[in-house]
Amino acid sequence: MSKLSVRFRSVIFSVLLFTPVIVKAQMATEQNLKHGEEIFAQTCTQSYCHGANGAAGGAPKLAGRGLTGDYIERVVTYGISGTPMQAWGQILPLNEVRAVIAYVQSLNGIAPSIRSGPPPVLTGDAAHGRDLFFDPQHSVRCSFCHRVNDRGLPVALAINNVPADATALRNLGTPQVSTAMAGGETFPALLSSKIPSETKIYDLTKFPPVLRTFSPSSVDLKDGSAWKHSQVLGDFSDDELGAILAFLRAAH
Amino acid sequence: MRVTLRQLILNKGEGMQHSSRLKLLLVTAAVLLFGSWQCNAQSQSVISQSQVQQGATGSDWPTYGGTNLFWRYSSLNQINTTNVKKLVPAWIFQTGDYQDALQATPIVVNGVMYVSTARSQVFALDAVTGKLIWQYKHQMLPGFSPPARTKSYGLAVADGKVFLASYDDSLIAFDQKTGHEVWKVAVEDPYTCRCSLSAAAMVVKDKVVVSGGGLRGFVAAFDMKTGREAWRFYSIPGPGEPGNDTWSGDSWKTGAVINWFSGSFDAELNLIYWGTGNAKPDFFGATRKGSNLYSSCIVALEADTGKLRWYYQEVPHDSWDFDSNWEPVLMDRVVKGRMRKLVVHINKGGYSWVLDRVTGEVLSTYPDNEHINWVREVSQSGELIGRHDVVENEPAWLVCPSNLGGKSWNHEAYSPRTTWIYIPMIEMCNDIVARPPILGVPSSGGGIWVMKPPPNHDTAYSHIDAFDPVTGKREWTYQYKYALLASVLATAGDLVFSGDSEGYFFALDAHDGKKLWSFQTGAGNRGSSVTYTAGGRQYVATPTGWGSVSGDIMSVLWTDADKWRLGSTLVAFALPEESK
Repeated sequence: MSKLSVRFRSVIFSVLLFTPVIVKAQMATEQNLKHGEEIFAQTCTQSYCHGANGAAGGAPKLAGRGLTGDYIERVVTYGISGTPMQAWGQILPLNEVRAVIAYVQSLNGIAPSIRSGPPPVLTGDAAHGRDLFFDPQHSVRCSFCHRVNDRGLPVALAINNVPADATALRNLGTPQVSTAMAGGETFPALLSSKIPSETKIYDLTKFPPVLRTFSPSSVDLKDGSAWKHSQVLGDFSDDELGAILAFLRAAH
Repeated sequence: MRVTLRQLILNKGEGMQHSSRLKLLLVTAAVLLFGSWQCNAQSQSVISQSQVQQGATGSDWPTYGGTNLFWRYSSLNQINTTNVKKLVPAWIFQTGDYQDALQATPIVVNGVMYVSTARSQVFALDAVTGKLIWQYKHQMLPGFSPPARTKSYGLAVADGKVFLASYDDSLIAFDQKTGHEVWKVAVEDPYTCRCSLSAAAMVVKDKVVVSGGGLRGFVAAFDMKTGREAWRFYSIPGPGEPGNDTWSGDSWKTGAVINWFSGSFDAELNLIYWGTGNAKPDFFGATRKGSNLYSSCIVALEADTGKLRWYYQEVPHDSWDFDSNWEPVLMDRVVKGRMRKLVVHINKGGYSWVLDRVTGEVLSTYPDNEHINWVREVSQSGELIGRHDVVENEPAWLVCPSNLGGKSWNHEAYSPRTTWIYIPMIEMCNDIVARPPILGVPSSGGGIWVMKPPPNHDTAYSHIDAFDPVTGKREWTYQYKYALLASVLATAGDLVFSGDSEGYFFALDAHDGKKLWSFQTGAGNRGSSVTYTAGGRQYVATPTGWGSVSGDIMSVLWTDADKWRLGSTLVAFALPEESK
């Protein structure tokens, strides 16, 4: 048997051996693209954003734009700051994000290619704590005063020391809150900024806090206040506060 | 009547004798007198004359809807049907914020104009010259991801302050004279809710009222002096509250009834009227069984507490994205022989509802669109008869009007002189197929829609119509081959102003819809024009600059829509000094 025929037989053997694998892989890719198309239709085309099948809508056209695979992966995963394009890597499960990336890549004539996955997703107590921290239905809205992992409003300073447990959190002192007197009003206040021409303070009388601007001569700030952090922890249970603390630890 | 007179005058013979001319003049005078008396008699019998003072603007344009009755009608008549042809630009102001359309309604108080732009920038201008007095360039929160294209519909001015509802969810009060910030409050946490404020703030007594999105949607009032929250009405009731059980399971948490327009206010009844958003997910109702209160409703809220007095749901369990956000217009008129306090309200689905604004009782309904197929009809008592819902697992079907609305947000106007309401309508449909949401992803699911012309038409089209606001009788129509997405303004000069996508700002005769004047402003019109006087001269000012989500989506239906130009410019018109 010549070398050629041996080689030929090897090729035939390889083709026979691997063809089902290739076919299976193609089917998997097609299924993944189909899945991506479904997820795209359920997410990206909603809220007046991208058009059906990557056509133009309220958001830009995606099909046939000559976008690169890396760009699509990055934008789908991390979003575009300052635009309505969300970081879907933080929202959808990993397999769905990958399916959408593959689908949008296919709209630009690119074979699916994923280099890296989205950032890790929190689990367990920390995930529950994150949901509570940002819960828009809860009477207490931690995120109206605290910014953690690029979410929430930075009224208070960044949380550097996470209390040990729920009791420690409830008893947390707030020496930075002072008492403001301005135009006959007295209210609990958190200094935001002070320059020669103006003093900006958060008025903590009612939730949500109001950032008020005064001329320096029209407001007096005195150390200490009757305002306590425990006032705004509301009806969170110890377990819920424990979960929130687990989230804050994971976030740090 | 006017056409007859015009014909009489136009048909006068060249060789007519003096006696014949005299007879003609006498006849003309008699007809004019009779016509005038007839018109006044009709007005007096149909509308409340005493309400005109409250509903009409004078030298200022003090609030978003003109006045809190939301007529978008001015009592000014220096510019009128006889001289409008002479209108010329008085000044032009470029905002420089060209990210998206200029969709705002300028506010004018004591010769100063206040306007906000898509990226929540604020400008105070000399209303006579257009000269900049102060500006505020808003910095969006770092890392803020807007839920949609940025926009601002306008400002409120009162108590020496200017109030801006910023797109990143803050309500900000500025000193009216200097533009310096007085207070600022986060109405929502935009990083969490992925919602925005776009509706102009509205001043009601000692409070500033704003509305917005989030997962339940709200109307909220803040103390005008301190910024402290006074009350908040959620447009989805919480657990244990009446109406919460109109959402199956936990769907109330993600129903997202987004309120993105301003309301109106009746000082005598002390009630605020607000239109609410549709239930989410759009189109897909299977996961939110029930009527989904208070979506697609008109709600009447007590001004001091935000407590719900009454509600009326126009579209229970919506499946077409037909929300009720558009303007509630308050007028007193005779209905069936009795003077009634009304709120007249058009829904995105192309029907108007006429309600008693004391009780919420439906007095009549009528279609405003020419192509409506999502219901066979709406009964005179408001029931949807012959619904054709978008349903999961069914093929796409052509719903008319489209989910962008038989009328977009651009506002109608009501003239107590003609007693008619002038509404800008779009005849456009869309193929819709429902898609389920992804569990735990609030903004997911709903449906896919593709814009289409109405059946048996090659393309979509628009029209401004004059309607009797109670019976819906169409008195005249002005047709346009492209998209009309600018608000309508009515004046006591018997003029109706609006603008088109090609960039023409124009004036129609309020009596017959004939175009009397137009001016090419250089960019598509997508805002709300206003009129005011300063230094004894009447001005009409309009925002220009194409864009917006609806503007761009609609443009796919016209091959020459790329001629509709972007921009962000105010153009003010007046009569030449010598001819005013």
